[in-house]
Amino acid sequence: MKQDKTAAGISEPIYHKFNVDEFYKMLEVGIFTEDDRVELIEGEILDMDPMTPRHASRDMMLNRVFQPLMGDRAVVSVHNPVRLSRISETLPDIALLAPPVDRYKEAHPTPDNIPLLIEVADASLAYDREVKLPLYARHAIPEVWLVNLVELRIEVFREPSPQGYRAIRYAFAGDAISPAAFPDIIVRVDEVLA
Amino acid sequence: MTTGAQVAPPAQVAHKKFSADEFHKMIEGGMFIEDDRVELLDGRIVDMTPPGSGHAGCVKGLNRTFAVRVGDRPILSVQDPLSLDPFSEPQPDFALLVPRSDIYRSNHPRAHEVLLVVEVADSSVRWDRETKIPLYARHGIQEAWLVNLVDQHIEVYREPSIKGYKSIRHAFVGDTVSPLAFPDIILKVEEILG
Repeated sequence: MKQDKTAAGISEPIYHKFNVDEFYKMLEVGIFTEDDRVELIEGEILDMDPMTPRHASRDMMLNRVFQPLMGDRAVVSVHNPVRLSRISETLPDIALLAPPVDRYKEAHPTPDNIPLLIEVADASLAYDREVKLPLYARHAIPEVWLVNLVELRIEVFREPSPQGYRAIRYAFAGDAISPAAFPDIIVRVDEVLA
Repeated sequence: MTTGAQVAPPAQVAHKKFSADEFHKMIEGGMFIEDDRVELLDGRIVDMTPPGSGHAGCVKGLNRTFAVRVGDRPILSVQDPLSLDPFSEPQPDFALLVPRSDIYRSNHPRAHEVLLVVEVADSSVRWDRETKIPLYARHGIQEAWLVNLVDQHIEVYREPSIKGYKSIRHAFVGDTVSPLAFPDIILKVEEILG
């Protein structure tokens, strides 16, 4: 994610880029705590929007939908870190992870363990679309669902490339969708958006 | 990457703002290796570009010139921090400070203790002019000089206000400059530019 030169031609300063070690060091020295909602995105430490009840309830709903459906086939991780690179670590709402859970005892999941990642977007919609989705595509997360609470649809992104996801589908109330990695798992959009 | 209708304003990105205390904790935690020159400006940690020999020589020259000419009247500060507000701790190239018996051992100088601040700019002219100089103005530092090595002149800023310095003079080769605090000290521009 890069700063643009503004129309006035003001040159941007070189903001210090942090890596994951420094990010965890800050946690260690108490600059933020594990309850702080911050993410590391391309070396920049960004505050996440405060969690609204509407958003939180979507996460609980998604967890409820996926846990029984996935069983042992995937680990359902809610609001936990996902390590994309040395300089990017995000906190997606939901991530389906390759089992077993033990795999993640020593290290956070990385893109090759994450068949599906889900972000719930209300106030953060522009940010999710313009910052997080391209980030996930660049790091080859195979599939992302954006639960769009503003326009009441689930946006399904597949076929990541460095330029972004190539394939996008919209699913509305009444539709059913399946993760590409688990085509037999049926998720009703109604259940998620309700 | 577009996903249908574009929402007009770009995504808001909220960078975590760091306080000077947090900044110090990071430094004490060993986060910035010795060669990592960083300063804190409005809560953002900014990398300082490693100086070229032209820049470094100019700063040494300023130090020597002032040491010889103003003696003990101010305290000379070379690339040391100023404590401007809880979120800003810049490191100007050179500054003249109000004399203090502890020589600022107990805390970094505050804005009202700064008689003159000098930034030497080779590649960073715009950045210094548009970000650092206004920062000094906002905190009421009575005079700032921007030694512009690129255009070979000195920009003299006076009359600080919240909106920036109200008075700007350019001094060229052949002209002289004098600090407001020491009007008897008359320096030739070419002496400073080197």
